[in-house]
Amino acid sequence: MKSTHALIVFLICIIFTSCEKKQAINIAGSTSVLPIISIAAEEFRKNNPELNIIVNEGGSGVGVNQLGEGKIDIGMVSRDITQEEISTYPNVTFNPISIGKDAVVPVISSEIYNAGITSLTLEEIAKIYRGEVRNWSELGGPDKEILVIDKEASRGTRHVFMEIVMGDKEAIAEGADLVLGSNNEEQTAIVQSDAAIGMLSNAWLNDNVKGLNIKMLDGSIIESSLKNIIDNKFPITRDLLIVTNGKPAGAVKDFIEYLLSSEGQKIVEEAGYVRIN
Amino acid sequence: MLGSTSKIGKYYVYGSTLISAFIVFLIFTILIISSWDAITTVGLDLLKFQWNPATGEFGIIPMLFGTLVVTFIALLIAVPLGIYTAIFTSEILPSKYRFIVKSLLELLAGIPSIIFGLIGIAFFSIWVQNIFDLQSGRTIFTAGILLSIMILPTIITLTDDAFHNIPDKYRETAKGLGLYKFEIIKEILLPIAKPDLKGAILLAFGRALGETMAVMLVIGSIDRIPSPIYNWLSPGQTITSKLGREIAETSFGSVHFSAMIFMGLLLFIIVLILTILSQNSLKSNRRLYE
Repeated sequence: MKSTHALIVFLICIIFTSCEKKQAINIAGSTSVLPIISIAAEEFRKNNPELNIIVNEGGSGVGVNQLGEGKIDIGMVSRDITQEEISTYPNVTFNPISIGKDAVVPVISSEIYNAGITSLTLEEIAKIYRGEVRNWSELGGPDKEILVIDKEASRGTRHVFMEIVMGDKEAIAEGADLVLGSNNEEQTAIVQSDAAIGMLSNAWLNDNVKGLNIKMLDGSIIESSLKNIIDNKFPITRDLLIVTNGKPAGAVKDFIEYLLSSEGQKIVEEAGYVRIN
Repeated sequence: MLGSTSKIGKYYVYGSTLISAFIVFLIFTILIISSWDAITTVGLDLLKFQWNPATGEFGIIPMLFGTLVVTFIALLIAVPLGIYTAIFTSEILPSKYRFIVKSLLELLAGIPSIIFGLIGIAFFSIWVQNIFDLQSGRTIFTAGILLSIMILPTIITLTDDAFHNIPDKYRETAKGLGLYKFEIIKEILLPIAKPDLKGAILLAFGRALGETMAVMLVIGSIDRIPSPIYNWLSPGQTITSKLGREIAETSFGSVHFSAMIFMGLLLFIIVLILTILSQNSLKSNRRLYE
């Protein structure tokens, strides 16, 4: 009996001590911005051990919504904030701050890439997503049906991709076979297939997930290299944003300043994106 | 002393029951209030085939279809498998092994659904993709099979208990009449255990209906009814996977949010109807051995 009492007292103590609020920055949103922020948060905490930084994913839409509802301090967003989102939260002043540059790259399974399809025009990609081209052979590749992978509607990568490729950031992709969420999930699905096309942030390309080069109207072929992103040559580029409600203050401000400092920008570069400072 | 203790006990029991009932009532009310917006502004258009929040289309039929088909596939596989396994563990397996086998099977029920989802996405969907030579292994069929594994322990455990609760005098009498073991199981034990089996299946049905994580990862998440309609080896969407993927992207109070909650309400109502049906069936079939 005594030990039970002691245990209860002990548990209550734990609850109360953990209730003592440690200062924390809550961050959520785009999985494209996530690699930068999660590394930066770790580095930042080395100098500020009393500060907690909680980073969650969910997509750009989640970043905007949770910031709008006051659940987080910083939203990670990899697209522009839509007019609709601004009017949904009239009491919130969205304050976007660019921390890096990225390209959204149309990606294909390495089997297709190695079979000779290394570049497509934007119109050809749009035809695939509209469902007008259904087989790789129509584009000069092997006789395989195209597995068209789309993303959830409010994802930043999709907004940017659809804006450039289909002309409308909320375009419906009639040809889509799967609808997935994060960069991670999309990457896995493309690796698992031998005839897939999808869209990924530039930093998520690898040997199994090949980025397509874009064939421009004048016949030149643009690769998604960092140099082409810096020179604005690659057609589907975007800013990686972090968004706060109004002007940042306190620890949030310090963290953002760290991200924009040369140290923070080095992390941006190491994560595979283009630095802005 | 005793009187007051029993009084406290009585209030405690009443109180607990009331709280549980109140929570169910509260959830139901909240679901109705939150989905009211969608019911009044979208109305019958909710029963359409297109889901596109950007243009204000909120057709939930593809999700409803996916939910029902996935659950149907899961039950189709798990019910016979579960009942045969339970017959084996309770009637054929020597009782000293029964405990071991049964706890191993029940262990299956304790595996978190995200683990099933990860196994599903890393291995299972690839197998389905290769076996049926599909474009992608993320299909309604894959989700159904994964679900059937997840609800199997529920069916096995409850069915096994049902058989085990039948008094031995039935078996002995039947044996005395010269019936074979197969005949005893088929003609005597199964009819007696039937109401309990119904309960087991309904409980499994409920679990299959509400499962989110594992289904979300393997179903492909496209809001479309497969064409032709019986081609279940193509991607789809269930109500739960839709909610899991999209609810965080909706802003609280919008029609979009409201339409999502409406799907939740629908799920709630389906489970409610099932519960009422199962209560009635249990009432009408009073156990033979009582």
